[in-house]
Formats: sequence, structure tokens, C-alpha cells
Amino acid sequence: MRVYPYPRLSGAVTARVTAVRLRGPGDTREQLDSRGCSVVEQVVALGLAERDDWHTARLSVAATVPIREIESKGHWSDVEVVAVLTEGATNARTVARLAPGPGGGREWTGEIELNRDDHLDRVSLAVHVVATVGGTAGRVIASTDQDWVIDVTADAPLRERRLDVSTVSFARGAEWLRGFREAPWIVDTSGRMPTVRLNSDFEGLVALVEGTGSKVERVVGEMVLAQMCADVWTAVFHTAIGDLEIEDDGTPLFPPDWRGAVLREMLPDIFPGRAAEDALREVHIRRTGEGSWADLQPRIHYAAGRRAEVPGTLTATVRGIERLDQETHA
Amino acid sequence: MTSRPEHLPERLALISDVQAAEYISTGLLAGREGIPSIALNKVVEPLPDDDARWQLHRVRDLLDDALSKFRDERPTAADAWLAPRLHATLRLTRREAAEKRFWTYMALGVAPDYVVWRHLSEPRADGSRGGVARDRFVGAHYKQTFARLWWAAELFRDGPDYRPAVVACGNQDMLNSALRLDIVDHRPTALALVGLMEKGSVRTGREVNALTRAVNAAAATLMYDVIAPDTEPDGEPLRDWIAGAASALPVPRNTLPEGPEEERVPADAVHGLIAHFEELFGDAAVRGRTSEERD
Repeated sequence: MRVYPYPRLSGAVTARVTAVRLRGPGDTREQLDSRGCSVVEQVVALGLAERDDWHTARLSVAATVPIREIESKGHWSDVEVVAVLTEGATNARTVARLAPGPGGGREWTGEIELNRDDHLDRVSLAVHVVATVGGTAGRVIASTDQDWVIDVTADAPLRERRLDVSTVSFARGAEWLRGFREAPWIVDTSGRMPTVRLNSDFEGLVALVEGTGSKVERVVGEMVLAQMCADVWTAVFHTAIGDLEIEDDGTPLFPPDWRGAVLREMLPDIFPGRAAEDALREVHIRRTGEGSWADLQPRIHYAAGRRAEVPGTLTATVRGIERLDQETHA
Repeated sequence: MTSRPEHLPERLALISDVQAAEYISTGLLAGREGIPSIALNKVVEPLPDDDARWQLHRVRDLLDDALSKFRDERPTAADAWLAPRLHATLRLTRREAAEKRFWTYMALGVAPDYVVWRHLSEPRADGSRGGVARDRFVGAHYKQTFARLWWAAELFRDGPDYRPAVVACGNQDMLNSALRLDIVDHRPTALALVGLMEKGSVRTGREVNALTRAVNAAAATLMYDVIAPDTEPDGEPLRDWIAGAASALPVPRNTLPEGPEEERVPADAVHGLIAHFEELFGDAAVRGRTSEERD
């Protein structure tokens, strides 16, 4: 846990997006469908907008602040609550002040505008409580535990990202794919998001993965998919760890995009019980030659397999085959 | 020596890391070889829509001028001249500028000769030369040759006024250390850092690094946005500026161009932060000196 040289709130700050209004050329307006906003996932999917030419999205934000604690402890003055939109990929940062509602300042509300040209992919929305503490103005005394995600392109409000799978002929596709013409699939981690390319020249593969065939094919298809996912997780882990920003003092930083998200998700399985920053540093040290990189491989495979749900799928496959056997012998 | 590509198509394009990797040879990084430009342009992806901003010659002409203007100077001197002019020539949104494939194409397809000229390291004492770092072709926004200049101009300009960006790019330490930190995403903070350089409060590379480190560390608990509020952002001026690209003249070579007519950063916010950072820097500098004395 971090230690701060001044008193902070112990109560939780929570935030939610209550409405989204889009504005486009000629002052056209649209209210985002409520399906585009998930309070459970804390995600807004702006890809669900009916008009694709919107310029700005105005988010209505409501935050709950432990006002009793602020009043009773009395450490803080000039309390302000701000909403902050940030995206690492575009170095964008927008801040809006929220205002206390009626009923004693437990609930603060306001609006923050997201300018589409300033964003590429996923924008984080956080709420911070800021106050003067011990004569110092502008101290952050509390923040939301989990940021909201404002996804500029997604059409479903899901925190977990869906894997992009595309089917192409490796033999007739892009130049670089030709070298892999005998592979059933490859993982491409060079883009904004990792994608899987399925080789349409590989006979029967597409039908197998799409699960359109017989019972046996469906059972096997599930297994192939899980295996493919494990490949993806392993590949993205290595891509992410191989391209880290390093601070002057040698501290590796979490990348701002999906690479960071992948590392945060997998590191707890690689170094259980360690803080994310510690685990990242350990992996980086091992990869760059101090400590054993080879010893870590089983843990990386384990983490990738877990993410891809290989054990569960394999169990289901074994049962499925048993059942099919019984059916044929019956 | 890596030369100007023989084949320059009419339009800019995109190239992915995977494809780019095939062309980044050791010969290129050593500055000995060029790029097989016809082959390269066969594997690129086109930019969406037919936009005047994607005319390749506009940016290539600018780079040719930079090369001839700074031929006899240290290549680092070209950064402060090129950054605002590159920014005003391309007229990109941040969403477009976040596209890595765009910058990779600039480095490989438009001007590998510029990348090599600018980033080939100085000859060592024994006469041997270190090569160009790979991330000058394909790299993070604060490393890649053209992306770093564009982002420096974007983050350090004061609305349409590029002068603060010129100051920031005139100091390699500011360019290298500040650009990678999130603190410069807040306009008053970026301009206050420049203000301290202009005042002479920080001069050497060591001082600039100490300052950015101190400001960044303090930002972990202090919200500069609340201490020094910026204006509300407005996307309209940038959209107008981009729409005007088709009829725009080439950017002026001798005077500074003007950026989009966005609202300027509130001067009192910048002044307040300058005073605040001077105090922070004072503490950091004192600590630095005592630790040096101990060494």
C-alpha cells in the first residue's frame, strides 16, 4: 500500500455515468441508448451511437463521496470533486468539476465532454476528491477504485475485450502471411489490438472453429478455440513484456494500451500474491538476463492457459467424447 | 549513405510493424543503405479518404528544406525549426497522430534519409560510428523521429502560438524527458516548464531533468488541474483548421506558422505554476547538491 504524507479519506468514492449525449455537425443531438452504458461493467460503448458523425460526447457523471467523514474529521478544506478523462495513446486529459447536490453533499454531479478527435480507443474516467490539507492546496484525498472505461468504438459495453478473429488466405494474402502458409493460424500483435488470422487455405479449419459441423466437430472446435486463445495470451504477454518503457532508475512502466491490460491480468497468475508493480519488475529483470527467464515459462503458459480457459474446455471435451462414445455403443 | 527514396508516391500511407521490420536492416540502421522504395510501397496500406493533408510532397518538401537549412549545423538544431512546421503542415487530430503506422511510413517511405541524418550518432573517438536506434524508425511517440516532434509541438503550443514549443524543442533534455511524462498533458503545466526555461531558472540538462522529475513526483498527490485550471476544451477550431488544409499555402519557412485558433492557456494559471515549480525545484536542487557533495 502507498503511504501518503497527509491524511486521506478512508471511505470509498464511487462514480457512475448516468447519461450520454452526442453532438454532431449542424448541432445534431442524440441520446445514447441505455444499452450502451453498463453500470455493472462500468463501461460506456460509444460505438452504439446511431449517427457515426458525432463530434463530442457529453457524459453526465454522478459521484458518491463520504461527506460525513470529511465533516467529522475536519482535516480538509476547499473540498472539490473532479472528473478526469484520460487516454494514454493520445496524451489526452480533460477535467471537469462536479457540484454538490442537495442533501448535504454526499452526491456530486456534473458533465464532462469527450472530444472525439482527441481519442482513439479506450478512455478512462476517474473521479478524484481534492482538498487543501495542512496549508497545501490541491491534494488528492481520495479517488475512485476502478476507472470507468469509455470505449470510443465498441458497440457493446464490456470491460473484457473480444478477440478479433479474421479469416484470410495465407497463400494469397499479404506478403508477410505467405511465409506462414502451412500454419492453421497466427497471432498478429503488431496492431492497435492483437488479432488472430485464421488460414482459410487450411482445409476444414474454419468450419471447425465456427462450430457448424457435427457433434464431434463441435467438441473438437471448442478445444481448438481454447488452444488458439492460449496462443494469443502467450503471444501478447511476450509482446507486452518485450516493449516496456523503462524509467531512468530502471523501473519498468505498464504500457498505456492493451499491453498494460494484458500484463495486469496475467501477472497475478505468474507471481501470485505480489503487487502488480513488483511482479512487473521481477518479470522484466528475469527477461533482461538477471535471474531465470526459462524458469518463468511454465508460469506464463499456466497463466495463458487459465485466461483461455483451457482446463475447463479440456474437461468438457473429455466428457463430450465419453458421451459420444456411449451414444455410438448404445 | 541512406538517400532520399527514389520512388515517392503521391500520397502518404500506413505501414505496420510487421511489414516495417523487413525493411529495417542493419545497413539502414548503420546509415549505409537506403530503402527499396518501390517494394516498400507495394506492402503499405492506404490512408482512408481522399484528403489534401495526405499529399506526400507537402511534407517531403518541408524535410528537404530542413536538410538544406541545417546541413552544416548539428542535427539537433533542426528539431526546434521542424517541430512547429511539421505540425502545421500535417494538421492531424490526436486520434490520427496516435496511429503508429503513419509515423513508421513517414520514416521509411517518406524520409529515411532524414531519420539517418538526424539520429546517426556522432563518430566515437576511434572513428567508428554508432548506428541509428531502431525506435527512431518504429517507436514510442517520444522516440520516433517525426512523432516526437509532432507531439512536442502539440503538447507545448499555446493555442495557435508555437513559440513555447520552439523553446521546449531547443532543449533535448526537455524534449526527451518531459514528452514521456503524463504531466505535460495538462497545458498550464507544459507551459510552466517552458516558462522556467525562459526565465533561466533551469539551464543545464541536469537541471531540466531534476525539474521534470520533481514536478512529476509531486503530481502523484497534487492535482495541478485544480491548482491551475485550464480553459474548457473546444474541438471546433481544430476541425476548421483541418478543413482549411486543402487551400492552405505551404508553411512559412522563415517565420513561425500559426496553429489552430484554440483558446490560449490562462496566463495566471501558468504564472501560478511557475512559482510553485520554482519552489519544488529549489528543494530538489538542494537535495541534488548535497548528494553530489557526499559522492
